Amino acid sequence: MPKIDLTMDVNGRKVVKQTEPHKRLLDFLREDLNLTGTKEGCGAGECGTCSVFVDGKLVKSCLMPAAKADGAKIETIEGLARPGSLTPVQQAFHKTGASQCGYCIPGMVMAATSALRENPDAGIEEIKERLGGNICRCTGYTKIFEAVEIARDVIAGRLPETALDEDATGESFIGANVRRLDAPSKVSGRLKYAADMKMVDMLQMQVLRAPMPHARIVSIDTSEAEAMDGVACVITADDVPGTDGFGVFIHDQPIMARGKVRHFGEAVAAVAAEDLVTARRALAKIKVEYEELPGIYAPEDALKPGAPVIHDYAQDNVIKHIPIRKGDIDKGFAEADLILEDEFRTQQVEHAYLEPEAGIAYVDHDDVVTVLSPSQNITHHRHMLAHILDLPINKVRFIMSPVGGGFGGKEDMIYQGMLALAAMKTHRPVQLNFTREESLVASAKRHPSRVKYKMGLKWSGEITAIEFDMLSDGGAYGMSSEGVMRKAAILSCGPYEVHNLKVDTKVVYTNNTPSGAFRTFGGMQAQFATESMMDMAAEALDMDPFELRRINMMRIGSRTHTQQELTTASLDRVLDAAEAASRWEAGAPKVRGPRRGDLGGPDARKPCTLGARIGDAADTETKDERVAS
Amino acid sequence: MLICESYHVPKTLEEALRLWGDAPDGSRLVSGATDILPWAREGRAGDVEIPALIDVTKIPELKGYSCDKGRIRLGAATVYQDFLTDRTLMSNLPCMPYCAIWFADDQIREQATVVGNLVNASPVADGTPPVVALNGEIELTRLEEGDVKRRTVPVVDFIEGPGRTLIQPGEIATAVTVDSAYGYGGSFQKVGQRRSLVISVACCAALVRADSTGTMFEDVRLALGGVGPRPIRLRDAERRLKGERITQELIQRVAESAADSVGSRSRKEYRRDVVVNFVRAGLEEALANQPEIGAKFKNFGETENA
Repeated sequence: MPKIDLTMDVNGRKVVKQTEPHKRLLDFLREDLNLTGTKEGCGAGECGTCSVFVDGKLVKSCLMPAAKADGAKIETIEGLARPGSLTPVQQAFHKTGASQCGYCIPGMVMAATSALRENPDAGIEEIKERLGGNICRCTGYTKIFEAVEIARDVIAGRLPETALDEDATGESFIGANVRRLDAPSKVSGRLKYAADMKMVDMLQMQVLRAPMPHARIVSIDTSEAEAMDGVACVITADDVPGTDGFGVFIHDQPIMARGKVRHFGEAVAAVAAEDLVTARRALAKIKVEYEELPGIYAPEDALKPGAPVIHDYAQDNVIKHIPIRKGDIDKGFAEADLILEDEFRTQQVEHAYLEPEAGIAYVDHDDVVTVLSPSQNITHHRHMLAHILDLPINKVRFIMSPVGGGFGGKEDMIYQGMLALAAMKTHRPVQLNFTREESLVASAKRHPSRVKYKMGLKWSGEITAIEFDMLSDGGAYGMSSEGVMRKAAILSCGPYEVHNLKVDTKVVYTNNTPSGAFRTFGGMQAQFATESMMDMAAEALDMDPFELRRINMMRIGSRTHTQQELTTASLDRVLDAAEAASRWEAGAPKVRGPRRGDLGGPDARKPCTLGARIGDAADTETKDERVAS
Repeated sequence: MLICESYHVPKTLEEALRLWGDAPDGSRLVSGATDILPWAREGRAGDVEIPALIDVTKIPELKGYSCDKGRIRLGAATVYQDFLTDRTLMSNLPCMPYCAIWFADDQIREQATVVGNLVNASPVADGTPPVVALNGEIELTRLEEGDVKRRTVPVVDFIEGPGRTLIQPGEIATAVTVDSAYGYGGSFQKVGQRRSLVISVACCAALVRADSTGTMFEDVRLALGGVGPRPIRLRDAERRLKGERITQELIQRVAESAADSVGSRSRKEYRRDVVVNFVRAGLEEALANQPEIGAKFKNFGETENA
C-alpha cells in the first residue's frame, strides 16, 4: 500500500511519520503514535469518544482523514496536563465521580475543556449544548455537568482550588462526592481497554457475518482468502477441537455458525491477518453458499403448530417456561368487584455501551490459551472455553480488561472463542475490535415481551387475584433467557401482596438477534405491565394511585409471590418519598396534561432547546457589520 | 471502511482542478469529510476502495468570505460553526445561526462545510433551505484549455434530486453566494427522530423583515427541505404575506396553503401537518428574532407596540 508523509505538532512535540493515506486522524493517533486515550466508540461521528483539538478547535478524529491534519497542531487527552498532574477539569471529574466505566471520559474531558476555552463563563445550558456531541451511557450526565461547573468556577477564581479536593464525609457516604480510586487513570486517558492494547507480532481479526437470518450453510470455501498475502489463518466451526457450545444456562450457541445460521449477523468465518485492511479484503474472498430456511420473527409464531424448528433439541421452540401458582385465582376473581384485562408490549433495546466488544488472545509459553476481553463473566467463560477447545481448565486463562460499559451486554462469550481458535492456529497474538455496527448486530438485546394481564380488585382497592402471562422473544440463542424469565416471574406482580396469582413467563426461540442480560434482567418488562395496570386500576376505582399502592403493598410479614415471608419491608417509606418528591397532586389520575399542577416544576427536565449562545451574541452585537449594498 | 490509494491536498485551485480532471474513475472530492467517512461503513456503502481523495479545504481562495453589493460570497471551506462565531455572518445571514445550532454538534460543525452539504444534495440537508431563502447561487469552477472558468447556478435549480445536481465532470464547487439579509429576523425549524444530533425528516428556513413599527410584512422568505426530492421556495406564500398587515389569521391561512407544496410520497399526511406548523412557527420566530424593531413577538398575538 502506498504511504504518505505527515508532519504534526502533537501535544507540543514534533511528529514526522509515514502512514497509509486512508488513515483517519483517530487511527494515526492510536495506531501510529500509541496515543490510545482517544477512543473509538462509533466511528461515525455520533459518540465523541474520539474528540481532539486540531489547531485549537475540537473535532471528532474519526471524521477527519489524517492527511487533513498534516501540518496541524494536535492536542489529545494525554497532552492536557503534565505527566503526574491533572487539569482543573480532570480534577473536577475525579472529585464528582463523573467517570464511571471511563470509556467516554477522555472525550468528555476534551469537550468540557473546549467548552470552557470557548466561553470561560458558559452557563449550564451552554455547557450542555457544547457537550452535546459526546455520549455517556453510565452517569446520566449529572455528575459530568457538576464537574464542569466546578472546574469553570475554579478556573475563573470564583471558587478556591480546594473546591477540587475530595468532599469530607461524615457518618455516611450518602450525599457526598466520594472519589473513585480508578478515576485518575480514566480522566487522563491512561487506562488501557482491550482495543488500546498491543502485543508484538499481533494479528488483526475480522469476522464474516451471516447476510440472512435463517439458512443452512451448504458450503464455505476459504481457499482464496487463505492464499492471500498477509492472511495468517481463516477459521470456521470446523476448527473447533472440542464440544462446541456456550451460553449462560444452555450451551446452545456454537462459537461460529455450525451447519446453519440462526440470526442475521451471526459469525460464519473469521480471518486473522497482518493488518485490518488485509483482513477486510480477505473476508470478501470467502465464498459461502446458503440455502435459505423459513424463519420465525415473532414469538407468537414460534408456538404455532408446524412452526420452523430453530434448534433440534427444542422441537417446540421453547427456551424456558417459569410458572408460579399461589392461592386460588378462580376464587380470587370470583371475589372481585372489578376485573381489568389488558396487554402490554415492550421492545428490543440495545445496551449501547460506549466501548464496542474487543479482545486479544494468545498462547503463552506454557501453552496456556489466554483471552483478554471486557467479559462480564470470565470464570464461566473459562470453563466453557476449556470444553470447546478440549483443554484442561489450567490451560485456559481469561483476563478481564477494563469494561467500557456492559449493562449485561458483555456476559455472552460471542467472540472470545474465535480469538482463542485463531491464536491456537497461528501461535501469534490476535486482536478483534468490533465496529459499532458489528456490536449492534451481534450482541444480545433486551427481551421484547408481551404481557397479557388480568387483575381482580375490590371497590376498596384490594387486589383479589392476578393472572400474568408473559411471552418473550429470546432470539436465536438461549444466552441469559432462563434467568431473565425467572426474574420476570419473581417480580411479576410487583411489590404488592397478592393472595391469588397465576404467573407464567415463557421465552421462545426466533430468528431475531438473541436476547440476553440487560439491567433489571426481566424486571423492567414485568413492572411496566404491573405499574401501568395499577394506574389504570386507580383510574377505574376513582382512587389516588399512591393510595391504591399503599392498600396493596407488601409489609413485614407479607408473603411474596414465591411464598417467602418478609422480615423487612420499605415500600411505605419509598411511596412517601416519591409522593413528596414528585409534588404529587392527590386524587384519581383523571386530570392530564397542562392542567396538572404538579408538572413542570423546578427539578423537571425541560424539552431540549438549543441556541443559548445565539441570544448572548445578539446582545453584544455592534452596528458596523452591515454589508454595503 | 474507506480505503484510498492517495490523498491529495492541492494548494491552488488550478492544481485542484487539474488533479480532479485527471483523477481515476471513482475518485472523490472532499471538504469536511464528515459525510464520506460515515458513508463508507456497514449498512451504507460498506467497504469502499477509492483511487484518490482530493481535499479542497487548503486552497486559499476557498477559505473565508467576502462581501460585495449586498451579496456575500462564502468560500467552499466555510464551515457551519462560522455562523455561530462570526458576528458579520450572524447579523447578515440571520437564519444561518439557527440552522447551524441544530446541525450536528459543535465538533462536526468545525469541519462540515455548507458547500459540501449542498453538493451532497441530500433532500434533507439542513443547509439547503436557508441558502435557498437567501437566494443562494453556487459557483462552479472548471478548467478550459488551461484557464479557470466559472459559472453560477441558483441553488434551487442546482439540486435536481437526491444526490443529483447540475455539477459537471471536472467541475469543483468553489463558493456559494447569498443575499445579505441584515436587519431581517431569521429562524429555522427542524424535525427528526429525536431533538438533537439528528438528520432532519423535514426542515424550514424563514426570513422576515417587518416595518419599524412591526405591523406590516415588508419582505418574507420561506424555503422547505425534506418534503420533496428538491428544495422548495414558497414563492406564493411570500407574495401573499408581503405588504400585508401582520396578523395571526393571515399567518395561519398562508401556512395552511403551504401544505400543498409537499411532494414526498412517503408519510405525506404527516409532512403536510409539519409544513403548516413549520411555516407558522418559522414566521413567528423570525418576527420575534428581528433586531431593531418596535414590536417584539415573543408571545405572538396581535402586535403591541413596545
